[in-house]
Amino acid sequence: MATNTTKSESTGHHGPHDGGADVTDNIKLGPEGDYVMKLAGGIGLGFLVVSIGLGAAASDGFKQFFHSYLVAFMWGLSIVLGALYWITLQHLVNSKWSVVIRRIAELLAQGLMLMGVLALPILATVLKHNDVLYPWLNHDLMHGNHVLHGKAGYLNGPFFLVRMVIYFGFWTLLARFYLKRSLHQDSTGGDSFQSTMAKAAPPSMIAFALTLTFAAIDLIMTLDPMWFSTIFGVYYFAGCVLAVHSTMALSLFWLQSNGRLVKSVTSEHYHDIGKMMFAFTVFWAYIAFAQFMLIWYANIPEETQWYAKRFEGEWLAVSYLQIIVHFVIPFFFLLSRHIKRNPKTLVMGAVWILLVHFLDLHWLIMPNFHRGGFSFHPLDITTLLAVGCLLAAFILFRAKQVNLLATKDPRLKRSLAFENI
Amino acid sequence: MSEDQHSPETPETAPLHGVLAEYNTPGEILEAARVIRDAGYTKWDTYTPFPVHGIDAAMGIKMTRLPWIVLCAALTGLATAILLQWWTNVIDYPFVISGKPMWSIPANVPVMFELTVLFSAFAALGGMLVLNNLPLPSHPLDLKERFAKSTDDKFFLLITAADPVFDDKDTRELLQSTHPAVLDDVPEDRQTSDKLPRFVVYGMIILTVAALIPFAFFAKARMTQTRDPRIHVIWDMDFQPKYKAQRENPLFEDHRAMRLPLDGTVAVGHLKTDDHLNKGLVDGVFARTFPRDITPSSETIERGQERFGIYCAPCHGYSGAGDGMVHKRAAALQEAGVAGSWVPPTNLQQQTLYEQPVGQLFDSITNGVRNMPAYGHSVSVEDRWAIIMYLRALQRMRVASLGDLTPEERSALK
Repeated sequence: MATNTTKSESTGHHGPHDGGADVTDNIKLGPEGDYVMKLAGGIGLGFLVVSIGLGAAASDGFKQFFHSYLVAFMWGLSIVLGALYWITLQHLVNSKWSVVIRRIAELLAQGLMLMGVLALPILATVLKHNDVLYPWLNHDLMHGNHVLHGKAGYLNGPFFLVRMVIYFGFWTLLARFYLKRSLHQDSTGGDSFQSTMAKAAPPSMIAFALTLTFAAIDLIMTLDPMWFSTIFGVYYFAGCVLAVHSTMALSLFWLQSNGRLVKSVTSEHYHDIGKMMFAFTVFWAYIAFAQFMLIWYANIPEETQWYAKRFEGEWLAVSYLQIIVHFVIPFFFLLSRHIKRNPKTLVMGAVWILLVHFLDLHWLIMPNFHRGGFSFHPLDITTLLAVGCLLAAFILFRAKQVNLLATKDPRLKRSLAFENI
Repeated sequence: MSEDQHSPETPETAPLHGVLAEYNTPGEILEAARVIRDAGYTKWDTYTPFPVHGIDAAMGIKMTRLPWIVLCAALTGLATAILLQWWTNVIDYPFVISGKPMWSIPANVPVMFELTVLFSAFAALGGMLVLNNLPLPSHPLDLKERFAKSTDDKFFLLITAADPVFDDKDTRELLQSTHPAVLDDVPEDRQTSDKLPRFVVYGMIILTVAALIPFAFFAKARMTQTRDPRIHVIWDMDFQPKYKAQRENPLFEDHRAMRLPLDGTVAVGHLKTDDHLNKGLVDGVFARTFPRDITPSSETIERGQERFGIYCAPCHGYSGAGDGMVHKRAAALQEAGVAGSWVPPTNLQQQTLYEQPVGQLFDSITNGVRNMPAYGHSVSVEDRWAIIMYLRALQRMRVASLGDLTPEERSALK
């Protein structure tokens, strides 16, 4: 028995075991948080007003505004949804390495509350039965076409609104649940919170998968109500996971350059974030190609027309560009471990991924509006800045009240001592 | 043979292989490893029951070259997949599959992906074995009984005598300074061969040769001719007591295995007595009226419109003007000098067709006319008439005027 005891102690990570750790690090956001929050909030609100002005100036019944806004909205949503997925996953698999950076994701996921508010303009078009964005709100179109007529039971205003309330309600509650429990553990300690959060993970993950899939279908895929792709939810999910890991790398880099979490988060944690960014770069390409190849091979008009729109004019160049900038470049850039272990180079990759992820969403949404070719409008940038900055300000507002580290998590010691090799 | 035989040496008389130090904790062996590394030793190793984090740095081990080997293998796999598919699909056996080009990258990507992964996996496994000098059939440490604890709870460090810095006295003193639990000599193993066992080597050779035998048979079969009948392994499956279609059957006078139906036999549903309906003929000439069984109604015309869209519009166009997609494509190819001669489809709106009896139109659809193939086998009799009724409506539409509408319809248009 004596041998067994020694073994079980030594087969873990030598040294640290479960139990609270003494955190000597700087784990509170300081004045730099306030500064960036106010700056981002101001920029965000400013660009929101500018966007509305530009939208009115376009005098196309806000068509350009709403399409640009939807791209920016889905971009912001993918980050916070990815964060919610990431937290649930860590509890689902009882992950130890990630404890030290989990609070960052818990705070990012709080952005879902803001995204629920930012969804209101989109929901208003549905409430008003205005087909500026979603063609299925046009009664004549839906009932003049046999295929669309059959989809009217799903694609109608009231049911769409009910679904949106369910999605955003569930996401917000889950994000609040995880942050609340985790903060409570900070003040009181104890493992019971751990088991509550772990127990909630499996059903939450299933519900998350369903809500994310249907939300992607409802918000993006129905822009072309004739078209359908069963893999579409997974496609958006791949973007969510890429976005959240990139944002976490970026957030950690910013916090550390301001002297926060300097001792706690090491290149080992960056390495793991980088591995996920690399893996999901490949996953995105795999899913994107799986969707394309089946449609290309079967060659059924109602499916191919979606790609046909994306092969017209300059859109063809954007489609080819996606292969290069969204797969080949990040693949070879993130291949080396030296890149992933160096926060500076990893952050370069993170910024790149967030930008090409935006391009990807633009490519998913815009060809439904700009038929025949790519067309840039200032609204594409102003809406992105509005949503991105408001999201950053909202998350920082939440972050400055709390610890940036789950101090009483029993697995914290292992996470602090985590090593890849 | 005499070289293989050697007198067993006792451990005491065997030359020294190295000095083995034993530690109780991973912390101790990490500390010891740093000391040995700094003393400039190169031919030494540590043995631990589990991966000890930081041991690579403590031992001064450089980054592995394995990732580069795997990357090269991955690119080789990718290139192999591209070449293989290009050569088989474009050069060796060009074959059009579902109308795709001979060389179409999307169809080839799955194999590119799979071979990239396959080559990478093999290179990772093989490269790992080679870089680790595996398989290692024997090692002097195998004879050390206490070394078995290296898979349980003890940590070992071995410095071999082959190390250029090794010194019988200094090395022992250096190791002693790291406070090992036990310090021990390891003699060379002269009893077990350090080569792979004979049966393994022979077994591998035999298996390799055996794996090549089928290919030898394939090659022989391709290069030679034979008059021998082929081998029938399952006799009663190859030769079944039955007559196949188009074969001879001596039981019948005409020796045909396939029998003709008896005179006057009519298959169910094939008794077609109404020539007007089935052939478009009335008293031997093309009918100018629709048969009685075809109801002139908007349902019939809508059915005709749907069928027309499926069977006729690809060539004749949705308006019947002879400008369908197939025609446009063929005309474009002809203009580009790619395809040969293309006879344009008939303009169904022209006067001669407007005046043609419906029976003759029915006959054209059923049996084809000039370049147009017959559609009798794929479009039912009722549908053919429905198509003609719709065509009549199309032709009428060309000369329609506002006066054709009822006053109510006219006011609804406003």
